[in-house]
Amino acid sequence: MLRRNSLTGVRLNRRTVLSGTAAYLAAPFVISSARAEAPPVNVGVIMPLSGPNAQFGINSRNGVELVADEINKAGGIAELGGAKINLVVADATSTPTTAGTVAQRLITQQDITAVLGAFASSLTLAISEVTERRDIPLLTMSFADQITGRGYKNIFQVVAKASVIGKAQFEYTAAIAQAAGTKIEKIAIMYEDTAYGTAQANGLRAGAKAANVELVMDDAYPLGITDTTPLINKLRASGAQAVFPVSYLNDSLLIIRTMRQQKVTIPAIGGAAGYVIPDFEKGLGEFAENVLSIDTSNYDLAPELTERFRKRFGYFMVHEALEHAVCLEIVVQAIKKAKSAKAEEVAAALRGAKFTGGWINGMTGGAVQFNEAGLNVLSVPLMVQWRAKDIVTVWPKEIARSAPVWRS
Amino acid sequence: MSFLQAILDGLLIGGVYAVISIGLTLVYGVMGIVNFAQAEFLTIGMFVAWFAWAFLGLDPVMAAPLSFAVAFAIGWVVQGQLISRVLTAPSVAQIFLTVGILIVIENGSLLLFGSQFRSVTTSYQTASLSLGPLFVSIPYLIAFAMSLLSGIALWWFMRASWFGRAMRATAQNPSAARLMGIDAALMYKISFALGVGLTAFGGAVILPYVTVFPGVGSQFVVLMFTVVVLGGLGSVAGAVVGGLAVGVIQALSALFFPIQLQNLILFVVFILVLAVRPQGLIGASR
Repeated sequence: MLRRNSLTGVRLNRRTVLSGTAAYLAAPFVISSARAEAPPVNVGVIMPLSGPNAQFGINSRNGVELVADEINKAGGIAELGGAKINLVVADATSTPTTAGTVAQRLITQQDITAVLGAFASSLTLAISEVTERRDIPLLTMSFADQITGRGYKNIFQVVAKASVIGKAQFEYTAAIAQAAGTKIEKIAIMYEDTAYGTAQANGLRAGAKAANVELVMDDAYPLGITDTTPLINKLRASGAQAVFPVSYLNDSLLIIRTMRQQKVTIPAIGGAAGYVIPDFEKGLGEFAENVLSIDTSNYDLAPELTERFRKRFGYFMVHEALEHAVCLEIVVQAIKKAKSAKAEEVAAALRGAKFTGGWINGMTGGAVQFNEAGLNVLSVPLMVQWRAKDIVTVWPKEIARSAPVWRS
Repeated sequence: MSFLQAILDGLLIGGVYAVISIGLTLVYGVMGIVNFAQAEFLTIGMFVAWFAWAFLGLDPVMAAPLSFAVAFAIGWVVQGQLISRVLTAPSVAQIFLTVGILIVIENGSLLLFGSQFRSVTTSYQTASLSLGPLFVSIPYLIAFAMSLLSGIALWWFMRASWFGRAMRATAQNPSAARLMGIDAALMYKISFALGVGLTAFGGAVILPYVTVFPGVGSQFVVLMFTVVVLGGLGSVAGAVVGGLAVGVIQALSALFFPIQLQNLILFVVFILVLAVRPQGLIGASR
């Protein structure tokens, strides 16, 4: 188009001038239509969608989807020009190394503002190493102590840590038993041997030690265990007055079923995870009735919010769904605060900050306050109990919705 | 007391290990092939039983013959079309083929059925019998009883029926068997299909206490091989003894050692037995 003229150098011919002018005039219309559609905010959601923890992963994803859809339907994030939330969901599988690879791939393939994941503490630890290196905030409800114990700047945990939960698991039980006239002197603990079970067992041990209660059985078992008869055999021989199992789903079903089979009737106080999801009751039927468990949040503390989940998905809002919903709410609030979807700026807005409102009302205390390690210092564990197909909060008294039933 | 309870539990579970592993040893005994995909037929049997429970309301133990039939049919086709081609090939080719079948079945079920864990709820899942101070778990007892029945049926088949005798003849000397008018190809099909069918049958009867997912076979494969080698590769009686031994060793070791060391103790015993008696406890009939 540009013809070289040996005398005058490059010369513009008429065609070039016309096409150039046309482009110049059309430019604003092209550019403005690109500007009208604000780029979506990419939030990574990495959950175990296969393997033994698949159900928990699906529940968590459902919680996040509910909130994302609500926000998008209301017009997206106003501060960013109505930007919609785009959830980038990936399967963490059940092996930590794969989870790390999945996170790495997710972060390199697109511009991620924040990552939510991954329910199981062992997976979250692996993913956090990736997000910490890349300065992307990771919000989680996994609670092994290690998660907030490494001095990482980009990890944010919305619930109390495992040792605290384990201690509460024991202390609340002792209080409930005392209120029913029983003094606990001998207990048994059994726990799955990944980061979650091990950390919570530490808390249980500390609680028992502080109360001078004898630990007559203290056993770890492999996560994929298929036969719990040896464990229950040992439990029966130990003479414990109560057993504190910390399990995911399959092991929780196996343990309670085998206890019933071997006529071990001592109270079982679960450690959250498998003990507080609908599948527990589906698998055990009447044997789930009155099983106690420690929990990090419960849907009956904020029914106006959590009923929306039940309406959409057909089952009660399990705690992992609620807590992940809270995580997304916090990310959105941080984005609004920072007026940016850039990962580092959102992380800065999250550090040491307090968040209230919206879904955060579902957490104990009605607010989330992160300390320098990224731990929410306002989260208090609570004790729940199965009543028919629902779980109700029974302890501490101040937030209980019903009085606990203690069968000894 | 917990010692006796452990032995009882070990025997009950061992009976099931036996029925799951008999197929593996049968296939080796008759055809000389180590079927690495054997455990995948366990998965198939469990899935068939689970779907029968979910959609037809059949108790898994009632659905076990159905699992047997489905696995029998699949095994028949697999043997006829795939395994028969490598019967005279180097063993490396045989290994590759059966491992390939393993991969196809495992990932095929992952594709078809998804990765979530499925379990059944039966009325007797939490029931138990009291034998004095001992407890007999009903699901384990039923699984053991079914295993015993299928074991007796197999024994009768091998001893008393024409097909059984023909299979044993083919195992002893394929050329002589052919000269006697036995169709060796048919015998191979029957033994392979029977072997995988039995494993699937075992899978169905353990469904009340094991959760099924596409990878469940791999949880049992090492156990199966331990059982057959401990008892003597190729010997059906060996598989029974091996199964019972493995069950008891596992149950007893959990009494004295942490439960995570269960398999370690098993393998230590396994290695010791093989060091003293390489042909296994009963010894091969081949």
